[in-house]
Amino acid sequence: MYGEIGNKLVQHAKRTQSLAHLPPYQTELVRAVTREVRDLDKDVGTILEPFAGSFDPSTEPAAACALLVNHLCMRRNKRCLLAYHRTRTDKLEEMCWGGIDVLERQQEQQANKTGISDDVGKIGADGAGSSLSPEEEEYVRQYSDLLAAYKGQWTDIDLTGSLEPPKDLFIDVRVLKDAGEIQTEYGAITLTKNSQFYVRQGDVELLIAQGYLQRLS
Amino acid sequence: MDIDDLLAEVSVDSISQETRDLQELTRSWVAERVAPEILPWPSDLMERVLDRIRRQIELVEDQTGNMDPKTNFKLIVIQTELERFKFLVRSFLRARLKKIDAHPLHILARHAASATDLLPLLSPAEHQYLTSHQALLTSHYASSFLSQFPASLQRMDDTTGGISMVDKPDEDAAVFVRVLRDVGEVAVEGTDKRLEMKRGDVWVVRWSTMRGWVASGDLELI
Repeated sequence: MYGEIGNKLVQHAKRTQSLAHLPPYQTELVRAVTREVRDLDKDVGTILEPFAGSFDPSTEPAAACALLVNHLCMRRNKRCLLAYHRTRTDKLEEMCWGGIDVLERQQEQQANKTGISDDVGKIGADGAGSSLSPEEEEYVRQYSDLLAAYKGQWTDIDLTGSLEPPKDLFIDVRVLKDAGEIQTEYGAITLTKNSQFYVRQGDVELLIAQGYLQRLS
Repeated sequence: MDIDDLLAEVSVDSISQETRDLQELTRSWVAERVAPEILPWPSDLMERVLDRIRRQIELVEDQTGNMDPKTNFKLIVIQTELERFKFLVRSFLRARLKKIDAHPLHILARHAASATDLLPLLSPAEHQYLTSHQALLTSHYASSFLSQFPASLQRMDDTTGGISMVDKPDEDAAVFVRVLRDVGEVAVEGTDKRLEMKRGDVWVVRWSTMRGWVASGDLELI
């Protein structure tokens, strides 16, 4: 009662900030906090009931104090929930910008996790291996669309490109994973593993971000 | 009027539009990255810059087939310049988006207030991004937990209890400014400090005091 579970959520959010991946969604905690808010709201209703709309705080200091505490707790819980969800969506947005396919990665993780059983205990009650809630998956899908739409207005600029000031037009790269054939202005290049190329930075930026290529300095 | 002012006038007129645009773009980019709040969208400047980028890309595409070493070398110079321009614009746009994401409701309110001004705060594309992103977030919160809340607690811009839910950037944050034109004596609000700002000076002052002069071009952020 009174914000203890909300505190746990905030601790989770704080931890999420410094992690590279997204930890599992705390379905149980979110539900518990929401339930707490509803209970507190019911309490407020019960306290106010005998007064039938003519409540005067100065004559009933005890009831007024209880009401205030309840109200503050509800608001605090709301803030905790918002902060928790916002931290996670920020993280997801960051991944969208970084060119990482979040949903695909989730499926991979799910496949990996089936062998590890001690993680299952931490995951929410529905038992699914995904660390995203269904709402979050939907959010990622829609945000990717939104991002694509906004990017589409700046086709010449390539908004998700590198934020490092460009020094050289051409760079040396090594291929870490087979990436197939890419088209450049100087013809097609086939990127096979362990080969090395001298290519235009703009042509391969996305592949570097996705981990197919490594930049050599 | 002394010799410096005369020199300044002469030099501004003799520089070509392209060079001035680059200077202006660089200045906007630096300002946007340094200023604590989002600055008005420089629509004319961006139109000219984007137009020029498009023309250069077309030029590069036209001439890549040409294997003559001379044009080839010229192309490399053009492409390098193009990459730098693209970087400036990209970094500028991303800096703005970052602020838009950080303080959506505050910026939305300010944009609505500036809609009739000469320079609206956001470009149409940014405004659209902001509203759709906000709609997405709201529906995400609602479906995750907010819809089960008591109706009185479902608002996203609540100000009861002395705390506003709408977050604001810190407008009193300190910024570095360089004086481009003599401003004279400036009083910093809330303190008894008075500054004599002369052309060429560099000061660290709170942003809220400097805002007006930066907008009018008397100061630049560095």
